[in-house]
Amino acid sequence: MKIKRILLSLAVVFGLTSFGSVANAACGNITIANMNWASANFMAEVDKIILEEGYGCSVELVPGATMPTFTSMQEKGEPDVAPEFWANAAIIALNKAVDEGKMHSLNKAPITGLGEGWWVLPHTLKKHPELTTAEAILARPDLFPHPEDPSKGGFHICPPGWNCELSNRNLYKAFDMEAKGWAIVETGSAAGLDGSIAKAAERGENWFGYYWSPTAIIGKYDMRAVDMGAWGGKDNWDKCIVLPEQECGDPKATSWTKSEVYTIVTDNFKNTAGSAGMEYFKKRTYPGPVMNGMLVWMGENQAEGADAAIEFLKTQESVWSKWVSSDAAKKIKKAL
Amino acid sequence: MDIFNKIPVMDRTALRELKKGIDSSFKEFSRAYGDGIEGFFDPLLHFLIWLEKLLVNSPWPLVIGVFALLAWIGSRSIKLVIGTVVCFLVIGYFGMWKNCMATVAIISVSTLVCIVVGIPIGIVMSKSARAEKAILPVLDMMQTIPSFVYLIPIIMLLGIGKVPGLLAVCIYALPPIVRLTNLGIREVDKETLEASEAFGATPMQKLRSVQIPLSLPTIFAGINQTIMMALAMVVIASMIGVKGLGVPILQAISNQYLALGMMNGLAIVALAIIFDRVTQQYGQRIQKHRGQLKK
Repeated sequence: MKIKRILLSLAVVFGLTSFGSVANAACGNITIANMNWASANFMAEVDKIILEEGYGCSVELVPGATMPTFTSMQEKGEPDVAPEFWANAAIIALNKAVDEGKMHSLNKAPITGLGEGWWVLPHTLKKHPELTTAEAILARPDLFPHPEDPSKGGFHICPPGWNCELSNRNLYKAFDMEAKGWAIVETGSAAGLDGSIAKAAERGENWFGYYWSPTAIIGKYDMRAVDMGAWGGKDNWDKCIVLPEQECGDPKATSWTKSEVYTIVTDNFKNTAGSAGMEYFKKRTYPGPVMNGMLVWMGENQAEGADAAIEFLKTQESVWSKWVSSDAAKKIKKAL
Repeated sequence: MDIFNKIPVMDRTALRELKKGIDSSFKEFSRAYGDGIEGFFDPLLHFLIWLEKLLVNSPWPLVIGVFALLAWIGSRSIKLVIGTVVCFLVIGYFGMWKNCMATVAIISVSTLVCIVVGIPIGIVMSKSARAEKAILPVLDMMQTIPSFVYLIPIIMLLGIGKVPGLLAVCIYALPPIVRLTNLGIREVDKETLEASEAFGATPMQKLRSVQIPLSLPTIFAGINQTIMMALAMVVIASMIGVKGLGVPILQAISNQYLALGMMNGLAIVALAIIFDRVTQQYGQRIQKHRGQLKK
């Protein structure tokens, strides 16, 4: 919480003292929120290069985190852009701001294939191609032995205290997993969860449990999302699955709630960046595997988002050239 | 002079390659030997699971009765026995029974492992100055290296769960018993040793009937310290999937649940005090016994 507050104040300070620099006739000064996780950091750096080189904007990155950045955008109109905004946390306030015309959510899917859910490793599917659905997997606990009781299947859930821990415990009940021969594997911490996947992948063991994308782990081990079945309705999710076990008496099986991730801009962005900039953000969609691949690259090379942005623009032209006009694409290529 | 302003730094790519090399060679090692090492620890895992199930599934009055009996055998103090019973009743009343039993199980087994491994190492150290010189820095490292550092290789090698948790606890809790065994044996009175030699005791006889009995109080202080340090590792062990009182504490940390954190934290404190007082009293009783002999 403290870090978020510091970042907020940083965001505000940086935002207010937006540095005077060469303002282009077509595009003015723009601030982009540089969120504190890898994929958003990378996206912000790519946006910076494309807007600067392709459209002649002057771009400043400001540190951010989901809620502080949103509050600052809403109240102060700074920063102008949040490239990867996880909207579930602020959906009501965001809708209100969009209705009032203070903000625009330009892109409702900046990264495809993104979200939370259950995953398995690809070598599991190679041997047992039928295990693509939760139903098929839950019928085979013998393939995913629990580390402490090999007669049961091991279901890896979130570390204690995370919101998804509650959801997974309720889904464990909802899918009737105990009767099907499954037991929960306590992962303890993010390192424990990641480590359990890494170990299984390195040793060719099967692994089944919760994770989310875009992340380096999903990209690195090429993990496959499990089809959890039909969506069980908003009431089931919001009034039961996300609550502590004792408050969720009758959970129903459901797919994971959709994570709403948008690219949002302030109303002011329309004036400074013009329709060209708006158009860019509308088209800019990273295919999930490309994004995960970049995150793996960052991890392997211990690279910053800025290095990754250059690597991406150099190697993945077929992806980004669709987002910009051919004129801008030429300018960007020349600048690299 | 540039060299004075800037510390010489390894080339960035070389450094990266070095790190990658260490990572990948460890991964290869874990791929090659991981299963074998896991198999080696299987009996320990089964024992741990058996003990935890026994503690959780036995009727609670019986479990508390056994604890009270152990406290009585250890301390011969009715106050301590009552305190033990009350502590466990309160822990149970606040809904922490299951987690508490899981913690007791892992603490007991790791203490046992530490005793079995630590005392022989301590004896070897006391016998040979060279061994002492070699082992001391290792003990220093075990006590000071941040646990998160060795958690990564342990997870890669053994996965998450009880055994890796047990190892993490033992790495931290082993040094005091080794140190104090070593110290205890070295402190045994030289004249007593000479006397035993004069009676023609072999080195083994000397060790078994003179040195170890006389150093027992010190060794017991080491066991006491080991238990305390094992309890201190409960939360860290929970971070790699060990059930117990650490789990709700982790929940409390990420959600700022003050009461939940306090209650489980105090339960650990209660366990610590019970274990500490009982083992300390026991150690003192052995000492008293020795004092009487001397007179």
